[in-house]
Amino acid sequence: MPDILKMGLVLTVVGLVCTGFLALVEQKTREPIAAAKQAEIEKSLKAVLPQGYDNQPVVDAAEFADKRLNAKASPVKFYRARKGSETLGAAFVVTAPDGYAGDIAIMMAVAPGGTVLGAEIVAHKETPGLGDKYNHPWIDAFQGKTLKSVKWGVKKDGGDFSNKTGATVTPRAIVKAVKRGLEFYAENEANILAPAPAASPPAAPAKAGG
Amino acid sequence: MSDGNQNGLGKVFIDGLWTNNNIFVQLLGMCPTLAVTTSAENGIGMGLATAAVLLGSNVCISAIRKFIPGDVRIPAFIVVIASFVTIVDLLMNAFWYDLYQKLGIFIPLIVVNCVILGRAEAFASKNGVVASAVDGISMGLGFTLALLVLGGVREVLGSGQFLGMDVVGQSFHPAVTFVLPPGAFIALGFILAGYRVIRQWQDKRAEEAEAARRNAATGGTQPITA
Repeated sequence: MPDILKMGLVLTVVGLVCTGFLALVEQKTREPIAAAKQAEIEKSLKAVLPQGYDNQPVVDAAEFADKRLNAKASPVKFYRARKGSETLGAAFVVTAPDGYAGDIAIMMAVAPGGTVLGAEIVAHKETPGLGDKYNHPWIDAFQGKTLKSVKWGVKKDGGDFSNKTGATVTPRAIVKAVKRGLEFYAENEANILAPAPAASPPAAPAKAGG
Repeated sequence: MSDGNQNGLGKVFIDGLWTNNNIFVQLLGMCPTLAVTTSAENGIGMGLATAAVLLGSNVCISAIRKFIPGDVRIPAFIVVIASFVTIVDLLMNAFWYDLYQKLGIFIPLIVVNCVILGRAEAFASKNGVVASAVDGISMGLGFTLALLVLGGVREVLGSGQFLGMDVVGQSFHPAVTFVLPPGAFIALGFILAGYRVIRQWQDKRAEEAEAARRNAATGGTQPITA
């Protein structure tokens, strides 16, 4: 019996000491981790938004949820870039559920009127060397496109976006996701670009912006 | 093994780094080894993260080894190891975010890397703190060396780069296979073969040196008798 007691006691002490240390480290790293995540978002925002905005898009954000943005319809932050009273555009993450290996998260920016300003892959699990070749410069093809200006599809399916031989699943998923993002944006532009930091979620589809 | 003198520690160090390398010789910890080494940077990152955990857990376990009853040593060791892994996970998340993103799930999985528990069982639970620290560092560096070599080979052959820089000419067409899972096995096989060749050469040289020394010793005595 005393043996059992001693074992239990030792394990309890080990567990307590370890938990204490972990709590301490967690507390010390909480802020740096949040900062690192923030920096990561800012980096991809810089890549897709046009130069010259003078607000902080990371703060000036509104949340919307829709099936077209990601399959689970979980809230997506729309970061608005403004210069003075002029709105330059909004950046947001669309998630393609139909990549070759899991979700592909794409940060895309749209200018008022519905023109794509830029896009960038922020997270994916595609095959190294094949599916992961679809970042820059390939993804720059979205720049300047609107819903009506091109055929939204890869070349193999009769669309306007190139695809590499042997890896069509990835670009197909990306093109579809960006198109869905653009459609959602067009329907909700007024809400998305609304100046209040906490815009109301899109109840009835507002008049399409154009 | 438990001798704390300079020579002993030196042997412990060389053992971990080279002679008893946990990848090249013991073939332990194959899961992270094969999975994350698609580039040299990933290899270094994973190696150093593992080395940090090894050092921490070895020192800690060696320090408390006399208070832990034998029957519960494994759960106690695992709690210690899991704590260090979580600490490394948090620190990397905070200060090395890019790499943390790339290594993803494999950082928490260091907990089940048999190299760590293996060293705790085989070394730290039987040796002093200093020797265990040296063992942790050398085993960790040996692991890092192996992952760096494997990651480097796969990155050069599979994507024509080393540490993200282009190192091969335009005429070289990278073989994508090497950054895919099969390439990991193929590359590791050739690296192990290369390691055996070097070791055999080393052993032969050691034998020759030994023979020469014996010759010299007997040769040295001859003039006296002559």
